[in-house]
Amino acid sequence: MKRTKALVRKCFLTFVSALFAISFLMPTVLTISNSFMTQAEIKANYGSVFAAAEAGKTYISESVNLKFIPDKVSLSQYITTFIKSPEYLLKFWNSVILVVPIVLLQVSVAAVASYGFSRWRGKVRDSIFFFYVILMLMPYQVTLVPNYLVSDWLGLLNTRWAIIFPGAFAPFSVFLLTKFMRRIPVSQIEAAKLDGSSEWQIFTRIYLPQCRSALYSIAILVFIDYWNMVEQPLILLNDTELQPLSVYLSSINAGEIGLAFAVATIYMIPSLLLFLHGEEYLVEGIAQSGSVKG
Amino acid sequence: MASVRFENISKVFDKNVTAVAEFDLEIRDKEFVVLVGPSGCGKSTTLRMIAGLERPTSGKLYIGDTLVNDVAPKDRDIAMVFQNYALYPHMTVYENIAYGLRLRKFPKRVIDEKVREAARSLDITELLDRKPKALSGGQRQRVAIGRAIVREPKVFLMDEPLSNLDAKLRNQMRAEILTLRKRIDTTFVYVTHDQTEAMTLGDRIVIMKDGFIQQVGTPREVFAHPANQFVGGFIGTPQMNFFQGKLLKENGRFWAQVGTYQVQLSDEKQERLFAADVQPQQVTVGVRPEHLQLAKAGIPAELGVREMMGSSVHLHLTAMEQDVVAVVSGMDDSGHFMNDIPASGQVFLAFHGNAVHLFDPASENNLEWPSKQRKVDSENFMEETVLPD
Repeated sequence: MKRTKALVRKCFLTFVSALFAISFLMPTVLTISNSFMTQAEIKANYGSVFAAAEAGKTYISESVNLKFIPDKVSLSQYITTFIKSPEYLLKFWNSVILVVPIVLLQVSVAAVASYGFSRWRGKVRDSIFFFYVILMLMPYQVTLVPNYLVSDWLGLLNTRWAIIFPGAFAPFSVFLLTKFMRRIPVSQIEAAKLDGSSEWQIFTRIYLPQCRSALYSIAILVFIDYWNMVEQPLILLNDTELQPLSVYLSSINAGEIGLAFAVATIYMIPSLLLFLHGEEYLVEGIAQSGSVKG
Repeated sequence: MASVRFENISKVFDKNVTAVAEFDLEIRDKEFVVLVGPSGCGKSTTLRMIAGLERPTSGKLYIGDTLVNDVAPKDRDIAMVFQNYALYPHMTVYENIAYGLRLRKFPKRVIDEKVREAARSLDITELLDRKPKALSGGQRQRVAIGRAIVREPKVFLMDEPLSNLDAKLRNQMRAEILTLRKRIDTTFVYVTHDQTEAMTLGDRIVIMKDGFIQQVGTPREVFAHPANQFVGGFIGTPQMNFFQGKLLKENGRFWAQVGTYQVQLSDEKQERLFAADVQPQQVTVGVRPEHLQLAKAGIPAELGVREMMGSSVHLHLTAMEQDVVAVVSGMDDSGHFMNDIPASGQVFLAFHGNAVHLFDPASENNLEWPSKQRKVDSENFMEETVLPD
C-alpha cells in the first residue's frame, strides 16, 4: 500500500515536471525546427498571424498552426541569412563587438576590485561593498535615466562605449567574485608572503588560479546577460547601424519570419556553446560563491 | 640560523585589546623554544610577530643582529608551518614545495634537487604530483614542513602544527619533528596549547597567560619549579592539586600543613625559603597527582571514581571539600596488577616534603622564588631537582 502510494506520487511529480520541462523547451524547439522549414511552409503555418497583425488588429490569430516537424528539411533560411541578407550578419557582428569587450573588461575589473574587497576589510571598504550590493539589487530600469544622463555628459551617447563603459563596471560580478575570494583562507596569503610573494604575485599566482571556476561562471553569466540585452541599445544607441542582433530580432516583419527563426538559432549558438563548455565551472562557481543571480 | 630577541615587545589590537605585553625573551641560535599557554594567551601573536605577519605596537624585535620591526616577511628569511597547513590547493605537492624557491629565482635544476631531497627526507616522493586535496592530514602536514625546510630558513616557526591531527598521528608526527630538528639543526619556535608537546619537544618552554610570560625554563624546571600557581596547574597531566594550608616554622625548620596533616619540607626547599626570606603564613599547597600517596594516616579523603589507565590508576577523590586526583601505580615491579587499590570508601593521602609547591594565596607566586626574579628566565635560578621516589 505504502509502495503503491509512493509510486503514484512519483508518477505524478514526474508528469508535472515533464509538463513544465516541455513548456519551457517548446519555444526553443519550435525556433530550431522551424528554421529548417521552407519560406512557403512557414507562411502557410503562421501567415495568418502576421496578416492579422498587419491589419492593426490582434497579434495572435486563432488560425495559427504550431508545427514542429518540417515537411521537408530545408537550409534555405540559413542560405538566405548568410548570402542574401548580410544585414543579419552585420547585426550579429555588432553583438559580438559589444559583448566581448564587456565580458573581458567586467571580469578584469571584477577580479581586481574583488581582490581589494576580500584582502582588506575596514569600515570604508565594507561601506563601498554595501553600496555595490545596493546597486546590484536595483533593476536596470531604475538606473536607466542616470545612466543616460551620464553617458550624455561624457559624450558617449550613440557610441558603443555608452554600453561597454557601464558594463565594464557592473557590480554583480564584483559581488559574486568577492564572496568567492573571501573563502580563500588568510593563512594561504600569509604563507605566500613568507614564501616571498609580492602583492601582485599573491593576486596572480594564488588568488586568480583558485578563482578560475568563478571567473568562468561570471564570464558566462555576463555574456548571456549582455548577449540578450534589449533596453540599453534601444535607449543609448539611436543609430540602428550600431544596434545588436538582440534588438533587431524583435523588429522582424511578416515577410521575414522564416529568416528570424534561422537567425535566432544562429544567435543561440554562442551562448549555448559557452554554457556547454563551462557548465562544470558555472555550477561550481555559483555554488561556491553561495549566491545565484536573480 | 639565528637568534631571536624580544625587547619589551607589546602588541595591542584595536587600541584596547592587549595580546602581548612586556615580552622580553632571547631565543638562542639553534634552540628549540616552545610557546605554550591557553587560548588567547598571545602565543600565536608572538609567533606572528617573528614572522612579520603582525607588527609589534612597541618594543624591539631582533632576528640575529637585525632589528626587524619594519622588515617585510619575505625579507626575514624565516619559514612557517601553519595550523591548517595553508597549502596552495591549485598547485601540486611539487609546486607547493618549489613555490618559494621559484620566487627567489633559484635555477630549475637546483629547485628540482632541493624539492626531491626534501620529499625524500619526509617520505612523500610518491605524492609529488598530487594536489593537496588528495592527501591525508598527516601527508599535508609533511608537505607543509617540506615547503618550509626546502628554503633552509634562519628561523623555523610552527603554529600548532599537530592540532588538526588525530591522537595517534600526533604522537608519530611529534617524534618526526624531533628527528627533523636533529637533522636541520636551526632555530625553532613552536606554538602549542598542548603541554605534552611543549614538554617533549622544547629545549626551553615559554609559558604564557593573558599576554604575559609566566615562566621560561627547561621542561624539567617548569615541571619541578613552577613560578606560580598557573604554571603549576598548566604543566602536568592530570593537573596539580591545590589545597589551602599553612606554612609553619618550628625549631628553625619549615613545615607545610594541610588540614591536620603536617610534613617537613626537604632541605632544598628549606634553603630556598630561607633565601627568599619567607615567613610563616597562609599558603596554597600544590601537590602533583603522581606525588600523592595512599597512606595509613594523612589528609582524609573520600574515594569517588577509580580509572584504570593501564600501568597506573587515577583516583578521583574528595578531600578538604574539593576534588582531588591521585595517580598511583597499578602494577608491581613484576608486571602484575595490584589488587590492593581501593575502589571506594575513605582513604588517607600523604606526600613527601620535596613534592610540595607553596604559593602565595594573594599573588599566586611560588614562595620559593625570590620576588625580584619572578617572571624572568628560571634557568639561572633553579638547579635541576631530583624528585622524590
